[in-house]
Amino acid sequence: MDPVLADRLQFSFTIMFHYLFPIGTMGMAPFVAWYTWKAAANLDTESARAARFWTKIFSINFAAGVVTGIPMEFQFGTNWAVFSARSGSIVGQPLAMEGIFAFFLESIFLGVLLYGSRGIPSRFGAWSAVFVCIGSWMSGYFIVVTNAWMQHPVGYQVGPGGRLELQNIWAVLASPFAGWQFAHVLVGALVAGGFVVAGIGAYYLLSNRETALGRRFVRDGTLVALAFSVLAVFPTGDRNSADVTRFQPVKLAAMEGLFETTKGAPLAIIGMPDVQAGKLIDPIDVPRILSFLAYGNFDANVDGLRAYPHEIWPPVELTYYAYHVMVGLGTIFLGVTAVAALLLALGRLYASRAVLWLLMLLMPLPYIANEMGWMVSEVGRQPWIVYGLIRTAAASSPTVADGETLFTLIGFTGMYFLLGVLFLYLVLREIGIGPSLDLPREDPALVR
Amino acid sequence: MSTAAFVVIAFMLTAYVVLDGYDLGVAAMAPLVARSDRERAAAMASIGPFWNGNEVWLIASGGALFALFPMAYASSFSGFYLPFMLVLWLLMFRGIALELRDHFPSPLWHDFWDAAFSLSSALLVFIFGVALGNLLRGLPLDAAGYFQGTFGYLLNPYAMGVGVFALAVLGLHGASFLTLRIEGDLAMRARRFRGVLWWVVLAAYVGLSAATFFVRGGLPSGVVLVLPVLSLAALAVQWVSLRRGADAWAFGGSSAFIVTLLGSAAATLYPYLLPAFPAGQGGLSIFDAAPAPAALACALTVTIGGSVAVLIYGSLVWRRMAGKIRVE
Repeated sequence: MDPVLADRLQFSFTIMFHYLFPIGTMGMAPFVAWYTWKAAANLDTESARAARFWTKIFSINFAAGVVTGIPMEFQFGTNWAVFSARSGSIVGQPLAMEGIFAFFLESIFLGVLLYGSRGIPSRFGAWSAVFVCIGSWMSGYFIVVTNAWMQHPVGYQVGPGGRLELQNIWAVLASPFAGWQFAHVLVGALVAGGFVVAGIGAYYLLSNRETALGRRFVRDGTLVALAFSVLAVFPTGDRNSADVTRFQPVKLAAMEGLFETTKGAPLAIIGMPDVQAGKLIDPIDVPRILSFLAYGNFDANVDGLRAYPHEIWPPVELTYYAYHVMVGLGTIFLGVTAVAALLLALGRLYASRAVLWLLMLLMPLPYIANEMGWMVSEVGRQPWIVYGLIRTAAASSPTVADGETLFTLIGFTGMYFLLGVLFLYLVLREIGIGPSLDLPREDPALVR
Repeated sequence: MSTAAFVVIAFMLTAYVVLDGYDLGVAAMAPLVARSDRERAAAMASIGPFWNGNEVWLIASGGALFALFPMAYASSFSGFYLPFMLVLWLLMFRGIALELRDHFPSPLWHDFWDAAFSLSSALLVFIFGVALGNLLRGLPLDAAGYFQGTFGYLLNPYAMGVGVFALAVLGLHGASFLTLRIEGDLAMRARRFRGVLWWVVLAAYVGLSAATFFVRGGLPSGVVLVLPVLSLAALAVQWVSLRRGADAWAFGGSSAFIVTLLGSAAATLYPYLLPAFPAGQGGLSIFDAAPAPAALACALTVTIGGSVAVLIYGSLVWRRMAGKIRVE
């Protein structure tokens, strides 16, 4: 096996599995904070039950996120030694910051929520929930900054031996690529959070239990999912594409399946890229829209893949399909949440079983959309690991044989399979038990 | 410049060992003193709110090493590929065990995860000890600083001795922490256990100091010699507080003992990050790929600012959570 292929498979598998959980924590944290805050402020039992319930689901998510997150940072060193040695001076900084500023905040205050007082949360509990939310979002910011630097390197200078050395940390933290990328990532997670809350609420309504809280979950979840589905398209998605157009035009061409440089380029809604023939098969186009979206001008010239040497093309099919699946799903989310919100305004949502079913069944799809977005970003970055500076093929560890990586890849697969089963089981079990006032970790044997 | 960076890394790793050390220690020694499901639940609950925050220091140390000495980060992590993967898997397994234990009320479920938690934690401590032992002993390195030996090479008697010593030291540290957080029979048994373990630590410390003398081929000189004296003083503090039942002092003494031990190790290794075998024959030093000035300034600010912030809200939370746990 091509040794770099084994490293790439291991990294993409472990990162994609890991990312399922940060989607959940970033997306659910504001709900935990909101319900905890309401409970503490109004001293009301219903909000307290909602708060406890989402804290439990959140904590299982968080635990799975922590354990699958541990290997991520260290894999840079184990599998990508050349990349690490050449760019660690920069990449290591936001990773250290993530640990010490964000992760610590999140984990220590989650401890308060999990092991704190019983019954209705205190003010301190409410603040803790807010800090957990801030921590999880900051965590996401530092990770996106790391990635944004790999997409569009800034604030560095070339040192001895071709090492890239940190020159200005503020340039890295305020990279022009990072802002909209982070906004889009966060918005995507909040769409998922909204769908999870609405979906579980819909489950309770359809099973005719916990009706009051079920309605609240459906309402809150739907409104959040609608608001952020809009924000996912505009401005965050739009601005993100503008950054790609500006800094990585060849990625844009692969995303859109545009082979020939075109004036007034059409937007392909569907179609299958044929890289050999250099065209889209059976496309359905909307004329001139791509030019407008990329440059704000219907007649603008958009570079096609052919405008660039073949050796710097990203894998076209994967980039193209990931992008189209993400956009297609985003459109579905917009439509469904808009209909649900309309029914809500008319006071008919809680009785519309068909829409409740839809909300419940759609729960996994925002996760897929989030993963696809990252796939566009990462696969589309190829063949570079640091855009324009270091090639992925030349960045892996010289001393690690592909057999070793294959072995550990198998190990990760087995471990994550088990973890996935446990995760699903425990979350489904909590949903089955339903909202209660119990502490997440209450053990009747312990008296504080 | 490079020396400041070395101190930053040593400080962060020491913070990690002192802090995560007690929860690793509790995990490793809990099966020896906790007799029932409830007592084990109490032992877990004593570290529950903290372990995750403690492990942050490992992640942050990794980031700092990555940023300040990218070459050493790259060559050590890829050079010790399988041992590192083993450590990652154990860290993950341990986290899963601790977090999932209380999510399902079945004694069998608890038994399984408790055993998994203790076993993976004890193995981790042993491996960390073996790693430190190998650093002190020196490693076969090629010109670029990549490890040239095999997995079996790492399991030499000296390094395994350090592994066992680490287990004893952190077991004592964990037992001391447990007495701070728990009331009742479990705490009494932890105190008795501590009294026995102290002698083991003392004997191992003396033995290993002699072994280190042989492995390093001589005594370190100068100011470094103060550190072993301080280690012995910390051990003495522990002994007195064990006799008097001053649990807080015992935990403080144990923390100080760990700090002085790691201080000695760092002073012995300096200026090498990965010393070659036999010891004293060069290796990958902090001057081989000195950190960029901006990288050092940034890491220093993050470490100092982060430590202060962590101290402030960590102690705030600690005060809120500090009540003792009683097993009924």
